[in-house]
Amino acid sequence: MENFNDDLYPLALLMDELKHDDVSNRVEAMQKVDAIAMALGPERTINELLPFLNDVAQDDEEEVFAVLADKLGDFLPLIGGHENCQPLIQILLHLLPIEEPIVRDKAINSVNKLTEQLTDDELNKIILPIIKDLSQGNWFSKRIASCGLYKGVIVRVNAQTRLHLLNLYLNLIVDEGPMVRRGAATNLPVVINKLTEFTSTVDKTDVNQISNKDWEIISQMFQSLINDEQDSVKFLSIDVLISILEYFQKINDKSYNSDFLINSLKLIEDDSWRVRYTAADRFNKISKNFIDEEQDLSKLIDPFISLMKDNEGEVRKAIAKQLPDFCKMLNNFSSLKPSIVNKILPIVNELSQDPHENVRSSLAINITELSSILTKQQTIDKLLPIFLNMLKDEFPDVRLNIISNLSIVNETIGINSLSTNLLPAITELAQDSKWRVRLAIIEYIPKLADQLGEDFFNKELLTLCLSWLWDPVYAIREASVKNLKKISEILGSDWAEKFIIDKLILIKNSSTLKNTNKNNDNNADDTIHEDNDDENIDFASFIIRITCLFTINELIPVLNTKTITEKVLPFIDDLTKDPVPNIRFNTANSFKIIAKTLISHNEKDLINDILSKLNSLADDDDVDVRYFALKAVEEINQ
Amino acid sequence: MDLDTDVPMEDVSEDQPSYQQKTTKTTTPDLQKENIGDLDQWIEKLKNCEPLSERDVKKLCDMATDVLQLEENVQPVQVPVTICGDVHGQFHDLMELFKIGGPCPDTNYLFMGDYVDRGYYSVETVSFLVCMKVRYPKRITILRGNHESRQITQVYGFYDECLRKYGSASVWKLFTDLFDYFPITALVDNKIFCLHGGLSPMIETIDQIRELNRTQEVPHEGPMCDLLWSDPDDRGGWGISPRGAGFTFGQDISEQFNHTNDLSLIARAHQLVMEGYAWTHQESVVTIFSAPNYCYRCGNQAAIMEVDELHNRQFIQYDPSVRPGEPTVTRKTPDYFL
Repeated sequence: MENFNDDLYPLALLMDELKHDDVSNRVEAMQKVDAIAMALGPERTINELLPFLNDVAQDDEEEVFAVLADKLGDFLPLIGGHENCQPLIQILLHLLPIEEPIVRDKAINSVNKLTEQLTDDELNKIILPIIKDLSQGNWFSKRIASCGLYKGVIVRVNAQTRLHLLNLYLNLIVDEGPMVRRGAATNLPVVINKLTEFTSTVDKTDVNQISNKDWEIISQMFQSLINDEQDSVKFLSIDVLISILEYFQKINDKSYNSDFLINSLKLIEDDSWRVRYTAADRFNKISKNFIDEEQDLSKLIDPFISLMKDNEGEVRKAIAKQLPDFCKMLNNFSSLKPSIVNKILPIVNELSQDPHENVRSSLAINITELSSILTKQQTIDKLLPIFLNMLKDEFPDVRLNIISNLSIVNETIGINSLSTNLLPAITELAQDSKWRVRLAIIEYIPKLADQLGEDFFNKELLTLCLSWLWDPVYAIREASVKNLKKISEILGSDWAEKFIIDKLILIKNSSTLKNTNKNNDNNADDTIHEDNDDENIDFASFIIRITCLFTINELIPVLNTKTITEKVLPFIDDLTKDPVPNIRFNTANSFKIIAKTLISHNEKDLINDILSKLNSLADDDDVDVRYFALKAVEEINQ
Repeated sequence: MDLDTDVPMEDVSEDQPSYQQKTTKTTTPDLQKENIGDLDQWIEKLKNCEPLSERDVKKLCDMATDVLQLEENVQPVQVPVTICGDVHGQFHDLMELFKIGGPCPDTNYLFMGDYVDRGYYSVETVSFLVCMKVRYPKRITILRGNHESRQITQVYGFYDECLRKYGSASVWKLFTDLFDYFPITALVDNKIFCLHGGLSPMIETIDQIRELNRTQEVPHEGPMCDLLWSDPDDRGGWGISPRGAGFTFGQDISEQFNHTNDLSLIARAHQLVMEGYAWTHQESVVTIFSAPNYCYRCGNQAAIMEVDELHNRQFIQYDPSVRPGEPTVTRKTPDYFL
C-alpha cells in the first residue's frame, strides 16, 4: 500500500484536485506542485507531470496560471538541471503572452530565473529565438512580455547580437501600442544598468565592449521616450535618463552632460504633471550627476524653485522631500550658497503655508535638516520663524513632524538658543484662543522636557504645565493631566511628588484654610497666597476638585509607595465624603488604581483597608457611586 | 384658571423634596447587569457614529420609557451641571461638546431639547443621548424640544433619515413615541429654570407645570406648546409669535416669573445665537445654542453653560469639530486608460 501511495497517489491526487470545480481548490493544489515534483523525482516529473502541466497551462483560470508561472521558476533542480529546461520553457511560453499582468509578470520572472541557470550556448539556442519571436509578436501582450526578458540576456551575447537585440528593443520603444511602449520604457533602465555593470567587468579593448553604436540606439530610444505623446510613457523616461547619466558617470565621460542637462530641464518643465511629479520625486538622483560643475548645478536652481511653486500639490509634496539634499549640493559652492537663503528659503516659507496639508507635512519632515547647512544666525532668523509657524499648523502631522525633528536644529543653534526662541512662542500658543492650538503645544512639552532637562523645565515650563490643568476646556485639562504623567515618567517619582502632588495638596489645604479664615473673619494668610500662584484655583469649585483627582489618578502608577500611603491616600479619603457624587465615584476609581499599584508591592493590609473604604462607598445614596465602588471591588478581587 | 383648583399641593410641598428623593431612590431600581453590558456596548458603537440595529433601538426605547416616565414635568437637577442647547443631529459637534465640557458621567449634563432634524446624524445623536440617559439617569437630563415631535420631524429630516438608514419608519415611530415621556422643564437647584422655548401666558407658577399631562404629542396650543415654542422679545408683555406657535414674552414677564418662583435665571435654547449664548431681559433669561455652524452653514459658534455648586456660571464657546477632511487625492491614471 505504502509503495503505491509513494508512486502514484500524489500525482493522481494532484490531477484530481486540479480538476476540481472550485477554483480555490485548484489554486491550492497548484501551490503544492513543487512538493509533488519532488516526490515524483526528475524523470517522472519530466515524463508525467510536465505534460500534464502543459495542458493545464492552456486551459484554466488566471489564478491557477499565476501560481503555476511562479512555481516553474524554481523547477530546474526538480527536473535534473538546465539540460532539461526545454519542456519547462514550453509551458512558460503558453503563460508569457497572457493578458493578465499578474500571470505575465510571474512568467517573465520565472523565465529570467531559468535563463540565469542556462549556459550561454543554451541561452542563444533557446531563449534568444523566444525573445525575437515575442518582440515581433502579432499581439500586444506578446510584445509586452518580451520587454521583460532583455535584461536577462543583454550582457551575455556578443556585440553583434547585442546590437540586433537593441534594435529589436528600439522597435518596442516606438511600438504603436502605448502599453508596449510603457513596458519597454519600464524595463529600459534595468537594461542600461546591466550594460553599466558590464563595462567595468570587461577590458576597454574587448571586442564585446559597449560601443558608440549601442549608445546611438539607446539615445534614439531616450529621444523617442521624452517626446512620447502619452505622459504615462513619457514620465518613465526620467528613470531612463538617470540610468544613462549613471553610465556616463561610471565611465567618467562628461562630454554629453550639457545635452543631458537640457533634456532634464525639458522634463522638469513638462506640461504633464505626472512627468513633473516624477522629475520632482527623482530630482536629487538627477542633480547629483551635475555636482562637479558649478554652472550646471546653478541651472537647476530655477527649475527646482518652479517645482516648489508647481500648481499640483503632489509635485510640491515630492519636491519638498528633496529640499535638504539639494541644498547640501548647492552648499558646496560658495557662489551658489547665497541662493539657498535668497532664492529657496522664501519659497520654503510659502510652502510652509501651502493649502495642501500633505505638502506641509512632507516639508515638516525635511525642513529641520536645513539648519545643518545654515549658520546659527541664519537658522534663527530664517528657519525658526517657519518652524514656529508650522508648530501652529492645524494638521497634527505637520506639528508632529516639526517637533520630532527639532533635535537636528538643536545641534546647530544649541538648546539655549532654541528654547529662548521657542519659549515666547510656546507661551503665546499656550494662551491661544483656539483650544486645538493649545492642545498641540501640550503634546509637545514632554519631548521638550526630555531634551531640556529638569532644571530648565522647572524654571521655564512647570508653571505653564500646571496652569493648563485649570483650562476651561476639558480636552485641555485631560491632555494636561496626561502630559504631567509623561513628564513624571521622564523626571522621576520624586519630582512628581515635589512639584505636582505637594502642589495639589497645597491647593486643597489653602482653600480649606481660606474658607476657615473667612468664617473666623481673620485677615487673609499672606504666606499661603504667596505659595499659591493663582488665587482663582479654588478647591471649593467642582471642576478644580475633579481635575486634582484626575491628575492624582493618572500619576499614581509613577509614584512610590510611601508617597501613595502618606500623601495620596489621605487626599482621596477626604474626597470620599465630597458632596458631589461625581467626585465620590471617581475616588472609587482612584482606590482601584492604588490597589493595582500596591498589589505588585504586596501591601496586603493597605489593600484590605482600601477594600473596606470601597465597601462603604458601595452603600452610597447615589446609584453611580454604588456601581463604580462595586466594580472597583470586583476588579481588585480579581 | 382651572389649574388653580389643585392648589392644596402647595401645603404639602414643604416636606415634599425629602420625601420625593426617598421615593425616587426606591422607585428607580439599579440597572440590571446585562442591561449595563448592552448599554455600554451601544454607547461605544454610537461613539463611532454607527447607528444601532432596529432591535437594539426597540430594547433601548423600552428601557428609556421606564426611566423617563418616572421623571417629573419639572425635573429637579443638582449642581454642578453643564447646561446645553440645540444639537440638531450634528453628531460630531455633540462629541466635540463632550470634549469641551468633559465626558459623561464625570460631568453632569442637562440638554434642553432639539436633538433631531436639520443635521445629518439625528439617529445617532438621539440614540446616543438616550443611551446615556438610561445608563446614567442621575448624571444627564434630556428635556423635550419642539422638534421632539411626530409632526415636526416629518418635515425637518428625522423621519427621512430613519427611512434612509433603516428602510422603514419603525425606528422613527419608536423614538417619537419615546419623546412623549421626555420631561418638558427642569429646575436646577431650585434656582435656574430650564426649558426649550419659553414662558406661557397660562403658566404663572412652576407648580402649574407639575400639573400638566405631558405624555402626549406636542399640542398646537396651550401651556405645554408654549413652553416648547415661545421666545423672549424686546417688546414688553405677551406678543404673537412669528413661528405660529407659542408666544413672545417681554422683560416684565420674565422678571415677574423669576420673582414669583424665586428663581435667579431662566435658561432656554430654541433660537440660533451667533456667539453660542446670549443674555436677554437684563440677565433674567439666557439663550444657549450648542450646534456650531448650524445646518453646516450659519457660521455661528456654539456654547455650553457650566454651573458649579456655588452657582458660579461659566460659558464656554466652541467651533465646529474638525471633520475628517477631503481624502488625500493621489492621482494615478489606471492602466486601462491606455
